[in-house]
Amino acid sequence: MAEITVQRLTKRYGETLAVDDLSFTVQAGRVTGFLGPNGSGKSTTMRALLGLVRPTSGRALIMGRPFAELSDPVRAVGAALDAHDVHPGRSGRAHLRTIAAAAGLPTSRVDEVLDMVELTPARDRRVKGYSMGMRQRLALAAALLGDPKILMLDEPANGLDPQGMRWLRDILVRLAGEGRAVLISSHVLSEVEQTVDSVVVIGAGRLVMQGSLAELVKGDRRPALVRSPRAAELRELLEDAGASVASDGRRDSMHVHNASLEEIGTLAADHGIPIFELTHEVTTLEDRFLELTGEGGNVR
Amino acid sequence: MNALKSEWLKLVSVRTTWGLLGAMVLIEGLAAGLVTGLGDIEDLRRGNVATFIIGTHLATVFMFTLGALLSTNEFRHGTANSTYVVTPKRERVVLAKLAVGLAVGVVGALLYIAVNAGLGLSILSSRGVVVDADTAVNGYVGVGVGLVLGCLFGVALGSLLRNQVLTIIVGLVLFLLAGTVALFIGSDVGRYFPGEALLALQNTPSVDLLSQTDGGLVLAAYCVVLGIAGMIFTRQREIT
Repeated sequence: MAEITVQRLTKRYGETLAVDDLSFTVQAGRVTGFLGPNGSGKSTTMRALLGLVRPTSGRALIMGRPFAELSDPVRAVGAALDAHDVHPGRSGRAHLRTIAAAAGLPTSRVDEVLDMVELTPARDRRVKGYSMGMRQRLALAAALLGDPKILMLDEPANGLDPQGMRWLRDILVRLAGEGRAVLISSHVLSEVEQTVDSVVVIGAGRLVMQGSLAELVKGDRRPALVRSPRAAELRELLEDAGASVASDGRRDSMHVHNASLEEIGTLAADHGIPIFELTHEVTTLEDRFLELTGEGGNVR
Repeated sequence: MNALKSEWLKLVSVRTTWGLLGAMVLIEGLAAGLVTGLGDIEDLRRGNVATFIIGTHLATVFMFTLGALLSTNEFRHGTANSTYVVTPKRERVVLAKLAVGLAVGVVGALLYIAVNAGLGLSILSSRGVVVDADTAVNGYVGVGVGLVLGCLFGVALGSLLRNQVLTIIVGLVLFLLAGTVALFIGSDVGRYFPGEALLALQNTPSVDLLSQTDGGLVLAAYCVVLGIAGMIFTRQREIT
């Protein structure tokens, strides 16, 4: 059974459709990236999973049950929705103590998680003096209090410096390695591409794709860059063969869509046209992500 | 019990709590000292309990604010998310906040009485003014209960409105303005407003007000109704 199951989830706020018929699952032992532009419905989906908002239709289940029906929610799910969700006048330790007390956990557990996120030296300082990275660590510590089977973190990499990112990556991979299901959302793929095993990509509240990182790349339709001293001649041949060709402003090179590198190379060889360069355009996973989610066009 | 412990920790772990209680004690001490120390001796002799039990309305506003913060801080600072994820049975949280509001209300009332009685009565006594014991006890009970109910009123209203600024403004209007305006325009309804019910509970002499007991009952009824409404609303509404 999947640790998290979202089934045809729809959430409407008045006229706004925040989540639209969304379905996906999250498995244990993996870090799953929940990706989409700002306003694409990631936070609303997480809130529905945590019982904070009610689905308009569909279901959001934790270990097969709605959140409200979990017998021990704290040990099932640890969530960090926003690093700013803390009273600035409280110390980090006091903040965690209020949550631990509500969960029936001892203060010793508070000190353990503070140690895990390396905040012990700052534990008695008021949170208003914490950096963004420290607040993210505190939010993660709160999520870890109940030693939960599922971790749900909304934009945990937001505001982290490179060291902080590396630290987060290491701890999340370790936590998933212990058998937990880890779901982390982000609107910037590069923040999490080295951390996640699989991805759920959404745009405008709808599922765009779910799969492994490799599958995200597989659907790639990057154009080929071709450089040849007889580019104009090759262009005609390629267009006759059904490819679409765009000039890049230089006389000896062009961008070719709808033809594989093998097809282009073979066509050129058949006609004795020399090729100086034949390669895929350099695009990143990020480009692919933007292509899938509509490059910010879904922001509401 | 867990929710209760958590709410208590939330209350005592922020400086605002101590600031509000401290400010109340300071202002109350100053007011009681000045009035009993510098007031006209004949006025004080003639005066009823309202002459020396003073500053009560302001003290009640302080306690109301403390109660309102208990509820609205959750939404002001976003801690409602973790609070209701950890305790999905949300009415328990509101109940715990009311219980903590009751407790801190009692603490505030005892502090008020200690300062007012300690300072005010000893100064009066040194000036040779004899205060009738029954009148004093009656006055202090009314004021003490008013402070406790004021705090509960803040918790309950805050759980209903959620917005911190709105809760405090609505509370101030209800306590300080609305009833007075209603009484001024000659309506009988004015005496049932929270502020006027509080004045009655505090034994303020006025023909327009309810009796002390009725004032207390009306104010308590407000707290119960708002508290239940707050619990129902908190249960039903989404945490966004």
